Amino acid sequence: MPAAPLLRRLTEAQYANTVQDLLGDDIVLPASLEPDAEEAGLLSVGAATASVSSLGIERYEDAALLLADQVADQPDRFAAVVPCTPATADDTVCADTFVRTFGRRAWRRPLTDTEAARLASVVTLTGGESGSFTEGVRYGVAAVLQSPHFLYRREHGTPDADDPATRLLDDWELATRLSYLLWATTPDDTLLDAAAAGELQTDAGLRAQVDRLLADDRAREGVRALFTELFELYELDDLAKDPTVYTHASDELGPAAREETLRVIEHLVFDADAPGSGSGDFRDLLTTQTTFVDPRLAALYRLSAPDPTGFGEVWLDDGDGRRGLLGQASTLMLTSHSTRTSATLRGVFIRKTLLCQTIPPPPADVDTSIPEADSTSPTLRDRLRTHLEDPTCASCHQLTDPIGLGLENFDGIGRWRDTENSVTIDASGDLEGTDFADAWALGAAVRDNDNLGPCFAAHLYRYAMGHAVDPGEEAVVDWIAEGFVGSGHDWQALLVDLVMSPAFRRAGALDE
Amino acid sequence: MKKPSQRWIKDPRTGLVRPRGLVPGARGGPLPAARPLAGTRRGFLRGVVRGSLVTLALPWLEIFAGRRARADTCDNGLPKRLVVWFWGNGNRPASWTPTGEGDSWTLSEELAPLAAFQDRLTVCSGYSVKVDNISPHWSGAAGLLTGQQIEGDDDDWTMASPTIDQVVADAIGGETAYASMQVGVQTDEVLSYAGPNAPNYGETDPTNLYQRLFGDGFREPGTDTEPDPKLGYRRRVLDAVMEDVRSLQSELGAADRIRLEQHLEGVAALEDRLRKLQEDPPDLASCVRADAPAESYPDVDGRPQIQAIHAAMSQLVAMSLACDQTRVVTLQITRPLNSTLFPSASDGHHALTHNEGGDQPEVNGITTYLMSCFADFLGALDAVPEGDGTLLDNTIVLACSETSEGRTHSLDEMPILLAGGGCGSLVTGRHVRSYTSENVGKIMVSVLRAMDVNVASWGAGESEVDEGVTELEGL
Repeated sequence: MPAAPLLRRLTEAQYANTVQDLLGDDIVLPASLEPDAEEAGLLSVGAATASVSSLGIERYEDAALLLADQVADQPDRFAAVVPCTPATADDTVCADTFVRTFGRRAWRRPLTDTEAARLASVVTLTGGESGSFTEGVRYGVAAVLQSPHFLYRREHGTPDADDPATRLLDDWELATRLSYLLWATTPDDTLLDAAAAGELQTDAGLRAQVDRLLADDRAREGVRALFTELFELYELDDLAKDPTVYTHASDELGPAAREETLRVIEHLVFDADAPGSGSGDFRDLLTTQTTFVDPRLAALYRLSAPDPTGFGEVWLDDGDGRRGLLGQASTLMLTSHSTRTSATLRGVFIRKTLLCQTIPPPPADVDTSIPEADSTSPTLRDRLRTHLEDPTCASCHQLTDPIGLGLENFDGIGRWRDTENSVTIDASGDLEGTDFADAWALGAAVRDNDNLGPCFAAHLYRYAMGHAVDPGEEAVVDWIAEGFVGSGHDWQALLVDLVMSPAFRRAGALDE
Repeated sequence: MKKPSQRWIKDPRTGLVRPRGLVPGARGGPLPAARPLAGTRRGFLRGVVRGSLVTLALPWLEIFAGRRARADTCDNGLPKRLVVWFWGNGNRPASWTPTGEGDSWTLSEELAPLAAFQDRLTVCSGYSVKVDNISPHWSGAAGLLTGQQIEGDDDDWTMASPTIDQVVADAIGGETAYASMQVGVQTDEVLSYAGPNAPNYGETDPTNLYQRLFGDGFREPGTDTEPDPKLGYRRRVLDAVMEDVRSLQSELGAADRIRLEQHLEGVAALEDRLRKLQEDPPDLASCVRADAPAESYPDVDGRPQIQAIHAAMSQLVAMSLACDQTRVVTLQITRPLNSTLFPSASDGHHALTHNEGGDQPEVNGITTYLMSCFADFLGALDAVPEGDGTLLDNTIVLACSETSEGRTHSLDEMPILLAGGGCGSLVTGRHVRSYTSENVGKIMVSVLRAMDVNVASWGAGESEVDEGVTELEGL
């Protein structure tokens, strides 16, 4: 039984991708939009829940006018958007043609006659009053881009005659859901044409489009968008790392670290040398010795930079101690404080984000301080003993800290260290019965944990559908997860399975 | 005071739950005939939680004409304003609480920067947030600003009902260009909520804020309005957008209809602002175009220039109030749980509150720094002459944080400052001490009443209160 249908606002990233596809990659994008809200760990879930603030409304207007100005004032762009030559400043025929063609692309469906007339009257009235059809188009574009039909994706469908408790997405809604899942952007004309022809309602037609979309470079953007949300990599733009403690810290380090992680994921999903669809075993994210660094990250990792100006691929040697997601600066920075590491945050990341386990929140009204480093407790492991000996703390910290301590050889921005306060770091522990000696082995233990694959499948489901998994949806999520495991953790196969599942084409009943 | 037995009734036509009719407010008196019910502007004080519709346990507000001819105006005819000035991570009560009380008291170490304003400042100490502390930082923020527990849990929380600034904006914001304004210094996650999952994000860039308030569209009082056809074109676009919203609304479930109602209201408010720009600007003696802020405020030693950014924001907010662009502002310098690196601090603020030993001199230093910023803000208001006094005199500034002692996330001994007094609506120059850990909601009741938003009660459940603080109200 699927969850109730949603109205999903475009995230900031989706908005940017979408207007680039509509108006050209070189379009100047607005500097600020309504911020994305995170819910259930994903911006895509927040985008189906949160309301738009009045500041957000103002920013959407600013954005629409900025984009409309570029259409009106740049002849090439104007010609690409307006497929006719107006005879007069208030030419109704050309206005109608313009709003219907641009409207279909922007709203991801054909306009109704009422909608077309409403938009065309903005164009013709403004054109007539100003004596310039171009002025009419300027405000017509602004109207299209401020409309809720552009800013929100409706996934409501119509009641299914065979199963009245559920609703079937219409052709356009299905094309849109597919496109934002696989590309993180608006459907292209080919996909809209397939929707218009009803092709997406057949398994063969839908599968053909999935294969086409996955073969397109925009699928890489789609995967990047998903993992940017899931690992909260957007937080790397604004990390407070104390440069007086971490000499390698800078404003550019966070974004570079995000790029490293996204390139590794992209490589695993699209470029890894594996049989079948082209995807490698996605669990290798935890153990891969391939990574991508720029000179800044190379310096942090003590590697020689493969490319003096940008990112290049490198192989992390066995003796490095660093490999996989848990050795990447992105993860290590996001799970640390401004001047110190946090075994707790690192443990929470592994348990919650990678293994989908539940960690209760810390209780309020307790003194959560840990001792300062001194000669009796030089390492974090020593200082965390309170967490693990006090029964109140231990009930939760036992779940997180011993695992997080496995990453203690990496400091708060991900630089390797053998010692803390001149004492050798002990990074050993066990993850649910699997002993590990250090971060290198911890990565393998997480990779081989049975929860990892199903956890990623559940994350993808939530991201695709825009809501937490409803109790009525657990069966379908289990089915998709089993398929993922059965495919050898092939990410592209997981995407295909999800799209081809009945759940992807449906919504539940409306909440009246 | 008699409370209504049932606050909510179900509208048989729409199935939506609505507030019962007016009941006498806490100050008694006859029911007004003319004043509309609060919430007519924002008719959706219901909310959306996890995709389903909830009825808010909002203590329904009974607005009526108060002691004054125009309820939300000072006797001198000038508008009365409310500013919520918020900082994150609390204070250290041991270094915060003044000695002495009543009108004979001495500022503490952490409050020392406010010396110049002592006669126009009231410190409330000993008050507690009365919700269970289920989510460190967020329970306190919600208990303080909404009078009730968060909706959701530590990971996924939202306010269960509108925050106090929005309750006031709902009542008095209709006449100004902006019903309320949110400004953040180190965060856009300002604690201002129109309802569940309806956050009002703050503007964090001084230049953007300047452009919004004093950019191309701004006209000083006395300037003639040049007809600008673009305003008409933009309004035409917004009219079309509103029609789109309404038609989409009709296809949706209840929760999304409410989300779009909030969207629609935002568009209508923007359209209204454009309409006002086509009229002559209001005649306000103290209103001039504010000075433009610096273009950027680069970090120094990896630490943001908080005081400088905040001072720039303060100037803009003060002039915006003087120009009557809004009467309700939330100015939030940092967010709960923030890891801000303050100048010369050895670690992020939150980490220091938990990890610094002894008497926490660094945490004290940060609180004192924040209070110098607060003094800057009061100074910015006080620099604008208004009537026989200054803008500060005609404003109520409520300064608060989501916790007291950060180390333990304590909700007792909440730090609460009230400055300005709102043209004599609140008593200033006092230290008001509670020895019985009274509900901090009582202060909120007094603030609401001082803003002429007359409430029968504030908060819900365990933390509901139905009386104010007598000493504050000068009764």
